[in-house]
Amino acid sequence: MKAKAGNVDIDISKEFTPEQLKKLDEIIAKNKDKAGALIPVLEQAQGVLEFLPMPILKIIASGLNLPLSRVYGVVTFYSFFTMTPRGKHTMRVCLGTACYVRGGKAINDIIKKELKVEEGETTPDRLFTLETVRCVGACGLGPVIFVGENVHGRLKPAKVKDVISQYN
Amino acid sequence: MTMVNITMNGQKISAPAGSNILQAAKQVGIDIPTLCDHPALVSIGACRICVVEVTGQRTLITACTFPITEGMEIQTESPQVVKARKLILDLLFSERNHYCPMCQMSGDCELQNLGYRYGIDHWIYPTYTKGFPVDASRKYFFMDHNRCVLCGRCERACGDLVANHTLGLRNRGASSMIHADANVPFGESTCISCGSCLQVCPTGALCDKRSAYMGRNIQTEHIKSTCNQCSIGCGMEIVTRGGNVLRIESDWDAEINAGLLCKNGRFDPLYEDRTRVTQPMIRIGGKLRPSSWDETLKTIAEKISGTNAKEIGVLTSSNSTNEALYLLGQLFCKELKATNVGLLNSAAPKLFDKPQGSLADIVKSDVILVAGTDPAKDQPVASFFVKHAVDRGAKLILVGGKDNGLAPFATMILADIGKAVEVAERAGSPVVLYGAGITEKGASALKKLQGKAAFVAIEPGVNTRAAVAFGFNNGFKASAAKVLYALLGEQGLESADVLKDVDKKAFVVVQASYVSPITEKADVVLPMAIWSERAGSLTNTEGRVQKVSKAVEPAGEAKSDWEIISLLANKLGKKLATSLDEISARATQELK
Ligand code: SF4
Ligand code: SF4
Ligand code: SF4
Ligand code: FES
Ligand code: FES
Repeated sequence: MKAKAGNVDIDISKEFTPEQLKKLDEIIAKNKDKAGALIPVLEQAQGVLEFLPMPILKIIASGLNLPLSRVYGVVTFYSFFTMTPRGKHTMRVCLGTACYVRGGKAINDIIKKELKVEEGETTPDRLFTLETVRCVGACGLGPVIFVGENVHGRLKPAKVKDVISQYN
Repeated sequence: MTMVNITMNGQKISAPAGSNILQAAKQVGIDIPTLCDHPALVSIGACRICVVEVTGQRTLITACTFPITEGMEIQTESPQVVKARKLILDLLFSERNHYCPMCQMSGDCELQNLGYRYGIDHWIYPTYTKGFPVDASRKYFFMDHNRCVLCGRCERACGDLVANHTLGLRNRGASSMIHADANVPFGESTCISCGSCLQVCPTGALCDKRSAYMGRNIQTEHIKSTCNQCSIGCGMEIVTRGGNVLRIESDWDAEINAGLLCKNGRFDPLYEDRTRVTQPMIRIGGKLRPSSWDETLKTIAEKISGTNAKEIGVLTSSNSTNEALYLLGQLFCKELKATNVGLLNSAAPKLFDKPQGSLADIVKSDVILVAGTDPAKDQPVASFFVKHAVDRGAKLILVGGKDNGLAPFATMILADIGKAVEVAERAGSPVVLYGAGITEKGASALKKLQGKAAFVAIEPGVNTRAAVAFGFNNGFKASAAKVLYALLGEQGLESADVLKDVDKKAFVVVQASYVSPITEKADVVLPMAIWSERAGSLTNTEGRVQKVSKAVEPAGEAKSDWEIISLLANKLGKKLATSLDEISARATQELK
């Protein structure tokens, strides 16, 4: 089963171990005929699989005998659920007012170009997941980006590559 | 019925307990506006346009979800209410694109009408400049997300009424969108194009492609009729303008289908591309040549008069009115004593003399046994009832194979009908749907459930029930006919195979709406009116007699199926009823 999740091709037999998939089956089996089982199942499934790509949503929908349209609706409604794998590092670019006027937008554009991803996506090597935030309370340091817990302030467009290369 | 007394806008009214404020208002003609609510759908209270003021309540409340209680005092158009509704409309109009003049629904849009009602004449908030997608991947209608107000009517129609669950709502807040399955193009989704979502959409988000921009409701006529595409007999409305059929819409008051229609009934009849037969024709010198009605009927009458009853053959399509089938039986079987008569499709075996159930039993059942029929393919609205029941927890026992359209919803698929009967025997209120595909053995196995189960025959064809009642059933011998009268009507037959055993020298009369391999071979062709051009009645698979209406004039010189036979009877000097009312009354009498 091959499907696209964000910008990453997903082959669930490669992506997940047989143990993980077996656990998924168990989660489904346990909740099969329970009313309101969808959210707990999704939560447990994400706990085991880390993300819920389309093939997994299909397995869950048919396993719980629920319409795929609803499962997809629920997964996209709650920001807790993710259909794309998370990168090793989450890169958050601040686009709050202060950072924005100090060039945050340009930084964001360069990062997107460098990593070849759009907002919310993960790089094919699974190193970075790109997100934007609105003000993190470090306006004085603007424009800022976060990589995991690390803050990179007063970032110049020319320095973006350096920052990216610090992580592996 | 327990009644509850309330006061609405100072008026004292009483309404049945359990009604919500909206229903109580409707009863006395007080118009509370709605957007997400629809009489055929479950109320969800999402759009809040129906808010009203109730004395003692802290905030405004939604009329479509709030039940009435004794002594309740309600204001439906107070200044506070109007202010709230305006705010909602201002917000709705500023979201997405509601530049009405460019919209197909302009004039008929529920949102636009509310804009007029509450004097929304300019945008309070800046409008989106962002464009949303338009998805036209479905053959019959498109979705313009720019006009969508996210009321969710379409989603509820698809899920709760059709039980197809194709539609869903994704994301949240400003990025909410309607999607099919897991956000695939509608045309590639599990959508079965029944058009129920299109029917309930209050705005121009869902629009019929064929009739788009061809007229507003005030410029059109809505004529109630009955679908003649299968034996269910769904009520529908034919929408016409200037003598042309624009589209088919739901008749929410229809008893059998309560507004539901399927693709075969709603869309396909309007995408007909066969060539019409528009004038009577006689074969002269090996070629079909135009002729007058009078001349043509005279030719047929002469041929028939000079032919022995045994050598007359009659073959009819089940896509004929009760009136035509009645007259056909009266003229050929009773008057002319012809016995070699038949039907172009098979019929379900007759299991009992008295009716043992109706389509309405399906949704109330706990086990549904389906044998010898594929309603998802041939009688789709009946399959909606089945899927609906399955959604509510009923078990579906399918006798047959995986290729049956109901297979994905089946609890069990069994090859052995006896086993299926055993399962149904253990149920509380089973229902059996059976068609022409069951064997004699199967039929006797099913009879074991008599008294326990409700039975509904799902007849193949259209007016098969009436055809059988008037004596047209299998047993026709083509080779014995020297004169063949074929009432083909609109029925499509890919080849002239039904004529293959007919004597080469036989005289073949075909009464048909469309040019086909059969009309090409005929000696005489009589042009027949189609579904939208004829009045009369049809008998559905349960035995209900329902009216069909003439919405537009017949093409060319075509005439109604029954009228042609009536004229022929006249030419043959046979005194049969001649007015439609009289023929209908007699036919209905005999069908009882
Ligand atoms: S498509 Fe129509 S019915 Fe569906 S949510 Fe949008 S406006 Fe409502
Ligand atoms: S046409 Fe019918 S099946 Fe398709 S989305 Fe609309 S309601 Fe659902
Ligand atoms: S189920 Fe049959 S009668 Fe009903 S709309 Fe479809 S084709 Fe017409
Ligand atoms: S705007 Fe970026 S930290 Fe405040
Ligand atoms: S109509 Fe009542 S909330 Fe939408």
